[in-house]
Amino acid sequence: MTINLASKKILIVEDQAIMRETIKHIMVTFGARHIIEAESGLNAITAMRVDKFDIVLCDYNLLRGKNGQQVLEEARHLKLLPINAIFIMVTGEQNPEMVLSAIDNKPDDYLIKPFNQQQLLIRIDRCYTRKKFLRSIDNKIDSGNLYQAIECCEELLQLNDKKMHLPLLKLRAELAIKVGDFKSAEAIYQGILQERDIPWARCGLGVVAFFLSFYDQAIETFQNLIKQYPVMLEAYDWLVKAYESLGNNESAMSSLNLAVELSPLSILRQKKLALLADKTQNLPVAKKAYMATIKLGKNSIHRSSSDYAGLANVYLKSNAPNEALKIVYELNQQFRNDPEAKLRSALLETRIYQAKDNKTLAQQAYGKAFKLNEEFNRQVSRELRLEMAKTFFLNGNGENCDEILNDLLKTNIDDKPFIKDIELMCDAIIGEEHANTLIQEIKKELVDINNKGVSLFQEGDIQGALAIFEQAITKTPNNHTINLNLIKVLIHDLKASQLASEKILRTQSFINKAIEIGVPHSQLSSLQKELTSLKENLSITS
Amino acid sequence: MAAINFSELLVSSVDDIKNSLATLHALISQLKNNYPDKKPPEFKQLEFETNRMNNSLMQLLTLHKIDLSHFSLTIDEHSAADILEDVAAQQSSLLSLGSIQLLTQSQSDLFCYCDATHIINALCTLVNNAQHYCLSKVLLSASQEGDYVVFCLEDDGTGYPEDLLRSDQKVPGLEDTTTGNTHLGLVYVETIAQLHVKADQKGFITTDNNSQFGGARFKLYLP
Repeated sequence: MTINLASKKILIVEDQAIMRETIKHIMVTFGARHIIEAESGLNAITAMRVDKFDIVLCDYNLLRGKNGQQVLEEARHLKLLPINAIFIMVTGEQNPEMVLSAIDNKPDDYLIKPFNQQQLLIRIDRCYTRKKFLRSIDNKIDSGNLYQAIECCEELLQLNDKKMHLPLLKLRAELAIKVGDFKSAEAIYQGILQERDIPWARCGLGVVAFFLSFYDQAIETFQNLIKQYPVMLEAYDWLVKAYESLGNNESAMSSLNLAVELSPLSILRQKKLALLADKTQNLPVAKKAYMATIKLGKNSIHRSSSDYAGLANVYLKSNAPNEALKIVYELNQQFRNDPEAKLRSALLETRIYQAKDNKTLAQQAYGKAFKLNEEFNRQVSRELRLEMAKTFFLNGNGENCDEILNDLLKTNIDDKPFIKDIELMCDAIIGEEHANTLIQEIKKELVDINNKGVSLFQEGDIQGALAIFEQAITKTPNNHTINLNLIKVLIHDLKASQLASEKILRTQSFINKAIEIGVPHSQLSSLQKELTSLKENLSITS
Repeated sequence: MAAINFSELLVSSVDDIKNSLATLHALISQLKNNYPDKKPPEFKQLEFETNRMNNSLMQLLTLHKIDLSHFSLTIDEHSAADILEDVAAQQSSLLSLGSIQLLTQSQSDLFCYCDATHIINALCTLVNNAQHYCLSKVLLSASQEGDYVVFCLEDDGTGYPEDLLRSDQKVPGLEDTTTGNTHLGLVYVETIAQLHVKADQKGFITTDNNSQFGGARFKLYLP
């Protein structure tokens, strides 16, 4: 054993007293001193709020309340788990990687019941050794600096650790995809596949094809994988995305339906299925999936009032306004003091009473929505704001509608799928050219700002250019060009003035953000190199 | 009454029984703690039988899923030494209660491409049986033979009976009606072996009595 349990804080989450005792006994026998037990998911979360654990052993099937996956999701979401902690999911399932696979948030490892003390210790030890080996990369990923994570990965590959070689390559390729360096990812996957047919490497090639917009090729790759490995959920998830990108929502929905049958407990898949079925007017599937999402959401961090609203809408579309009203009632019960939920229920009531031809109540509900929107508009999700814009327009209030649309377009101008949603809504309700006109205006405005900033920069007025871009970024935080130009000016400023570590950190945070919003690798990587060398200069001089 | 979906009922019941078994397993290990020195001999049989029950249920479940096409392997690269270590760990409770010796042998840089969970389960089933039939020792080794990584199990017992001996790659008769022995373990191991494919090569198993210790020898070939 390389791990010393005496210094580790350990959490055992298990509903059966006898299993808890057994695990505890094993851990104590091997030197553990700090052990906390929790018999429910809720208590596990409470314990994690109090202590930072190094090792969490969590049963998947907790009898009441949250299951193990929901504990993991909540702990990661609330950042209750230290980045280098080990989370092991204990389960009776023989194929846990497959059957329990969630869309995100996988545990570090699985341990299959029943197990004896040797098996438990080996699992912990191997997990610990692997995490320790990858620590430098994990830390960089956690801080959002993906280019440095890649560097760490390259360094570790140089060590020629045979057992870690393939896992490192996998991580290296995934990081390449995250920064948009698809060529490198492709080369890694192909290199692996030349040696051996490994499913995840084939899946990786499909993912690369997807990001390069070769959707047909991606679909073929995922379909072949599924044919050979019918339980490979990751391939289904990507297949669904590829179909969606082709605008083939029908096929996306039927593929996702198969994945949901294989993993009915995955809330995010159920949620996505509900939305897709809703889009394709497949009301029975949508209804079933919304109901499943609501049920799974009861103990989940992914619980959302939008699922109730979705279900109510499905009832409304199926000419069952009274059923819809019942769901709105439940929504109100479940989400008290939640502005987003209140706005949703007011919007739903407006439409339900309109459907029931009750003008007074419809008008009352609309008034409520109007007030809530004034109070909370920017605090609610963008998809709800779009819904609000639609309701404004349908109730003859075009001005407020455009105000929301303009704001949504500005903040999401480079997010193609969402812009598409806005266009679809406008086309269907307002008019063919409406969205396009607004988009052109915003794009022109952006070009003007950029030109102004760039010409100031060229005239040598660095501070002036900086002011322009910094102001622009508060208004359009997700615009690629403005982000890029701001980074360029910041780096220029860094070179020209005295090096300061806080300025470097700030520039790095904009690069991290740019990766996140999908600024291409071809445009970012050279800027990252410049910044890294500035950073090195700083550490040499200081 | 609505028609019952027997398949679903079977799967959920077997899952349920497996949970009970896991609890039973935990209970046994707690009881064992009451005997710090010499443990009563009944524990050995308890351990053997619970292992066997758990293996059988797991095998039934897996074969059933394969039958329904609700199954796929999770193929990745694994160190052969790790796989042997896992098998030895799983068998350690049973080993500690008797006088049987389990030896493992493999090079540290031998890697194979397989579904480790199922290969480990398969090997555990075999070692569990071998412990029952051998006299004093079992050797589990891994090595490269041409295009295949081979897991080989040799014991010093009396060897396989005639009807289980085969050097070809044919699936044995599923059921020996005269004894009622289904050879579930062997069917499972063979099925899992055959699901491992590389180009036109498939995994397979062989059984003979050429153990270097004079007993049974079992080999699992993975391409």
